[in-house]
Amino acid sequence: MLEQKILNIKSEFLGEIENVSDLDVLNDIRVKYLGRKSELGEALKGLKDLSVDEKKKIGPLANEVKNEIASKIDALEKNIKSQASLLKDRIDVTIPGKKKEVGHLHLITQIQSELIDIFSSMGFDVTDGVEIETEEYNFDKLNIPENHPARDAWDTFWIKGKDGERKALRPHTSPMQIHYMESHKPPFRVIAPGKCFRNEATDASHDHTFYQFEALVVGDDVNVGHFKNIAQQFFSMFFKKDVDVRIRPSFFPFTEPSFEFDISCTVCDGKGCSTCGRTGWIEIGGAGMVNQAVFEAAGYEKGRYQGFAWGFGIERIAMMRHKIDDIRLFHGGDLRFIKQF
Amino acid sequence: MKYLYSWIKELSNTNLSPQELAQKMTKHAFEVEEVKKIGGKLEGVVVGHVLEVASHPDANRLRVARVDVGTEKLQIVCGAPNLSKGQKVPVALIGTVLPGDFKIKKSKIRGIESCGMICAEDELGLGSDHEGIMVLNENAQIGKNLSDELDLKEDYIIDLDILSNRGHDMMGHVGLVREISAVEGREMDYDYESLNLAEMKAEFEDRDRISVKIENEKLCPRYTGILIEGIKVTESPDWLKKRLKVLGENSINNIVDATNYVMIELGQPMHAFDADKIGNKDGIEIHVRNARKKEKIILLDGTDRELASDDLVIANENEVLALAGVMGGENSRISENTKNILLESANLNSISVRKSRMRHGLKTQSSDRFEKELDPNLVEKAARKAVDLIKEIAGGQEVDLLDVYPNHVEEWKIDLNLDYVDRLLGCEVEEKKVRKILESLKMKVEDQGERVFEVTIPTFRIDLQNQEDLIEEIGRIYGYDHVEPQEMLGVVRTASIDSNVSFEMSLKKFMVGFGFSETYAYSFYSKKDAEIMRIDEAKHFELEHPMNPSQELMRLSLIPGMLNFVRENLKNFSEIRLFEIGREYYRDGDSAVEEKRKLVGAVVLEADKKAETFFEAKGFVSELISKMGIYDFYFQEADGSDSNSPWHPSRSAVIHVGESGETIGRVGEIDLMVLEEYSIKKRVAMLEIDTEKLKELSQGEREFEPIRKYPDVTRDISMLCGSDVRVDDILSSIQGVGGELILDVDLFDIFEIEGENKNSFAFRIIFGSKERTLERKEVDTIMEGIMNELETNLGVEVRK
Repeated sequence: MLEQKILNIKSEFLGEIENVSDLDVLNDIRVKYLGRKSELGEALKGLKDLSVDEKKKIGPLANEVKNEIASKIDALEKNIKSQASLLKDRIDVTIPGKKKEVGHLHLITQIQSELIDIFSSMGFDVTDGVEIETEEYNFDKLNIPENHPARDAWDTFWIKGKDGERKALRPHTSPMQIHYMESHKPPFRVIAPGKCFRNEATDASHDHTFYQFEALVVGDDVNVGHFKNIAQQFFSMFFKKDVDVRIRPSFFPFTEPSFEFDISCTVCDGKGCSTCGRTGWIEIGGAGMVNQAVFEAAGYEKGRYQGFAWGFGIERIAMMRHKIDDIRLFHGGDLRFIKQF
Repeated sequence: MKYLYSWIKELSNTNLSPQELAQKMTKHAFEVEEVKKIGGKLEGVVVGHVLEVASHPDANRLRVARVDVGTEKLQIVCGAPNLSKGQKVPVALIGTVLPGDFKIKKSKIRGIESCGMICAEDELGLGSDHEGIMVLNENAQIGKNLSDELDLKEDYIIDLDILSNRGHDMMGHVGLVREISAVEGREMDYDYESLNLAEMKAEFEDRDRISVKIENEKLCPRYTGILIEGIKVTESPDWLKKRLKVLGENSINNIVDATNYVMIELGQPMHAFDADKIGNKDGIEIHVRNARKKEKIILLDGTDRELASDDLVIANENEVLALAGVMGGENSRISENTKNILLESANLNSISVRKSRMRHGLKTQSSDRFEKELDPNLVEKAARKAVDLIKEIAGGQEVDLLDVYPNHVEEWKIDLNLDYVDRLLGCEVEEKKVRKILESLKMKVEDQGERVFEVTIPTFRIDLQNQEDLIEEIGRIYGYDHVEPQEMLGVVRTASIDSNVSFEMSLKKFMVGFGFSETYAYSFYSKKDAEIMRIDEAKHFELEHPMNPSQELMRLSLIPGMLNFVRENLKNFSEIRLFEIGREYYRDGDSAVEEKRKLVGAVVLEADKKAETFFEAKGFVSELISKMGIYDFYFQEADGSDSNSPWHPSRSAVIHVGESGETIGRVGEIDLMVLEEYSIKKRVAMLEIDTEKLKELSQGEREFEPIRKYPDVTRDISMLCGSDVRVDDILSSIQGVGGELILDVDLFDIFEIEGENKNSFAFRIIFGSKERTLERKEVDTIMEGIMNELETNLGVEVRK
C-alpha cells in the first residue's frame, strides 16, 4: 500500500517537474513534495506503523525517492538560474566590431615590394639611384647620341642651370644600369625600380611622373632564351598562374636586338577576351640584349659580355591587375583610392 | 606610316590577305596600329541628280532638295552649304546602312519629310572631307550604284608603327615590300636596281643649263636637278588621285601629285619648281645654302616666314625658293600655265631639317622623311621614277640633268660570326637559313669559312652597322618564337638589396601598422609653395619647361604636397593619418645635387582638445624612433633660429639623438597661417624625419638585456607646479636623484588648475635593481630626496 503510494508520488513528481522553467513554480513543487506537510512526509510518518520487514523494505525506498526528488529540483533550479543569466548576457553579435584602423601601403609600394621579393628570391640585387641625373647617364652612356630623335621621344624635364653638366629628371630607370655596371663585375643580375619623369601631357593613361622597373642580367653567354625564362618565371609568380611570354621586334638605342614583350592574357589565359583585344596577348614592356656600346660606356671590354635588360611601367601592371582606369589616381593622394588596397 | 594594301600587293605580288600581312608584320617587323577597310560595295547609295533646291521654311541652315535617283524623285532635307541645283550627288536611300552602322530612315526634319540622305565623303568612308556633300562628275549616270560609278574596289589601309631607326627605308611602300619578301622568304619582285639615271647622265654630260652650288656638303650631301620642258599641267589621272586621296594626300595637279606619288612609293621627298620662274634662257642657278639674316620667303601654305641663319634653303641667285626639305616657296609654284619644270631630288641633313621644321612649327610629309636620315642613293631612284611618271601623265622631255654628289656612299661590309648568332639568340639557326634571311633583305653574303659570313649591306639600310644589328634581322625574320626559354646557370649569390630601399620599406610597413596610409606626391611644387614654406626660391632647382606653373620647382619639402592631400581628403574624412617617403632636391652651387630622403607624416583628428593632435604625432614618432632601436633621443623647442619655418612656433619640437644631439627631424603642428594658405581649417600635426640619418643611427645589433630577477617597486608622486615648469625638467630631476635605481618614470595624469596658471602632474616611478631586492627604507629615502629636489629647485608643491 505504502510502497505503491510512494511510487505514485514519484511518478506524479516527475510528471509535474517536466517543462518547469520558472523558479516560483519550482519552489511550489519543492514545498509540495519535500515540505513538512508534503504527501511524502505524510507517507513517511506512516512508516512507524509498519512491520520490521516492511520498514526495511520501504524505508530505503522512501529515502531514495526523497533524495531523488531533492536532487532533481536542485539541478533544475541551477539550470533555470544559469539560463537566466545567459539571457541577461545576450548581445547582438551582428553589431560591427570596434573600429581598429590599420593604414594602407600605396599600391605602387605594394607592387614594388612584390617585385623585390620575387627577384631577390631569384638572386637579383636591388639597386637604387638618383632622380636628378646628368645628361651623360640619362642619354650619352645609353647610346642615345646627341640630336638623336630618341631624345625627343622622351621629352625630358631638363633642369635650368648655366654652369656644370646639363641635368634632367631621369626619363627611365636605365641610368641605374650604368652606375651599377661601373661598380660591379659580371656575372650579376640586378633590378632597379624607381620614379621616372617625362614631359608629356597628363590624361587617363599618361602621367608625367611614373614608376618603372628594370632588370639587368650580364654574364658570359646570357641569351634571349634566358630572358624568356626569367620573364616567364617572374610573371607566373606575380600573377600566380602559368604565364607565357612572347617577344616581338622593337628598337631601343641601348639594346640590340631589341624587343617588345607581351604576356599571355591573364584574364582569358590566351584564349582572347576584351581585356587583350581578342589577341590573347597583353603588351607589357620593352627588352633587349644589352648593346655593346653600353657595355663600353660602362667600362667593359667590347664583346666580352652578353646580357639582357628589360623593364615595364609599374602603374601599367597595377592598372591591369586591379582594373584601374585612370593613372592619375596614383598621384592623387585620395584615401578613397589608397584604402582600397 | 600608312600603306595602301592594293599598292603593296601590286609592288610585291604577295598573296597574303591584309589581316595575314598585319599579323606577320607584328610578329616579324612592326606593330600594326590599324587595318582599315575602305571602298567596297556601298549598297543603297546611288547617283542622284539635284533637280531643285528650296529653302527650309523653319531652319536657316537647312534646305530642301528634290533629287532624281532614277527610279523615283525624292524630297531630301540637307544642311550642306555646297548643295546646288544640277549637281550629281551620292544619295543614301531609305534602309541603307552607312559605315559606322548609321541607318538611313524616313524622317521629318523640322517638320519637313526627308526621304534619304545626300552624303559627304566621310559619311561614305571614302575620305575625311566633311566640308560639304560630295559632288560627282556631271556625266555620272543617274540611279547607278555609287561604287560602280566610281569604280570603288575594296581596299585596306595598313597603318604600321615604324620603329624610329627604320624611318630611312620604311617611309615608302617599297620598304614594306622588302619586309614582305623577307618574311615570305622569297626574292623581291620590285625592280629597284634598274631605277637609275646613268643613261640620262651620259646624255647630258656636256649640257650646262643647270648649275648647283652647295655651300655646305654636310647639310646637303647630294642634289639632283632635272630640267623637263614641254609638260602640260592638268588634273591627275583618277588612279593616281585615288591612291593619294585614300592615303590622306590632297591632289594638286599632275606634276605635284607625281612627286608625292614617288615619295610615297620610294620614301624620297621631291620638289618641282616652275623653271621659268626661277631661271631664264641662260639657265638655272641653284644655291643650297643657309638663309641670310632676315631673309624672307612666302611658303606654299601662304605663310610669310622670316628665316634664321640655321635654316637651309634652296635659292637661285636672287631669292629663296624653298625651305629645304620642309616646304617650297610660292614664288616658284607649279601653276596651270607652267610649261617647264626643274625637278629636285636631294639628300639633306636630318638634324638640320628637323631643327628648321621645329623652329617654324611646320611638319610635312617631306620633313617627316628627311628627319630620318635618308640614303643619298635613293635620290637617283626617285628622280628616275618621277621623270618616267611625269612624262607618262604630263608629257614633256628632259633636257638637262645635274647630279652633285661629291662623296658617294658605298655599301659596307660586316663580318658575321655564326656562333655568335646562336650564342646571343640562344638557339641554333642553320647557316643556309641565315644566308637566306640576309639575302631576302637585299644583303650580299660571302662565306669566309670557319663559320664567318662577310655581309654586304645595301646603302638603304643605314641602321645596320654591326653584328648585333644583323643578329636582330636574323632573329626577327626567323621568328623569336623559335627561341625556347632556357634556365640560367651560373654563380649562386645572395641578393644584396640597397639599404635605403629595404629600410624605407620597413619604415613604410611600420607606418601602416600605426594607421597611416601612404601617398605619393609629385616631386615638384610652385613658387607660391616655396614662399609659403618660407624657403628661398633661389635654393631650388627649376625646370626648363614645366608642365604648368604649379610644378616649376623641384621640391625642398614634402610638406606642401602633403597639405594638399590633407585638404582634399578632409572633404571625405574627418580624421586623417597620411605619410609619404620621398626625396627633396638640394642644390649645391649651380649643378651638384643632393637628394635627401624624407619621411613625412600628417595627423588630423576629429577634434583637437588639449593639443591631442600634437601629442598623437609626438607619441607616434617616439615609438617609431625607439622601434628603430634608438633610445637616447629627445625633443627640444625650436631655438628660434628657424623661426622662418612652416612649423607652429610654440607647438613643434626638434628631434635630437645622442650625446651630440644630432637633429633627425621635427614633429609638431603646422603654423596656422600656413594652414590657412592651404585652406585647411583643422589643426594638422606633422612629423618629418631624415630617413637616411635614422637608418645610420639605427644600425648595430641589439644586445639582450637579462630580465630582472628581483621585484620592482612602484611609487606615485603628484605635484602642483607653475605653468613655466617643463615636464622635461621634472623628469631630469627625478632621474638625477634616483640614478640607476629608477627604471622608468611615467607621467600618468595631467590637468590644468583653471585660473591659477598652474598644472597638476602625477608621475609613477618604477624602482628596481639587477642585483638585489630593494628595501622599503632605501626607496623611501630616494623619494624624500626627489621631493626635496623638486621643491627646492623647481618650486614645485609636492602633494603628500
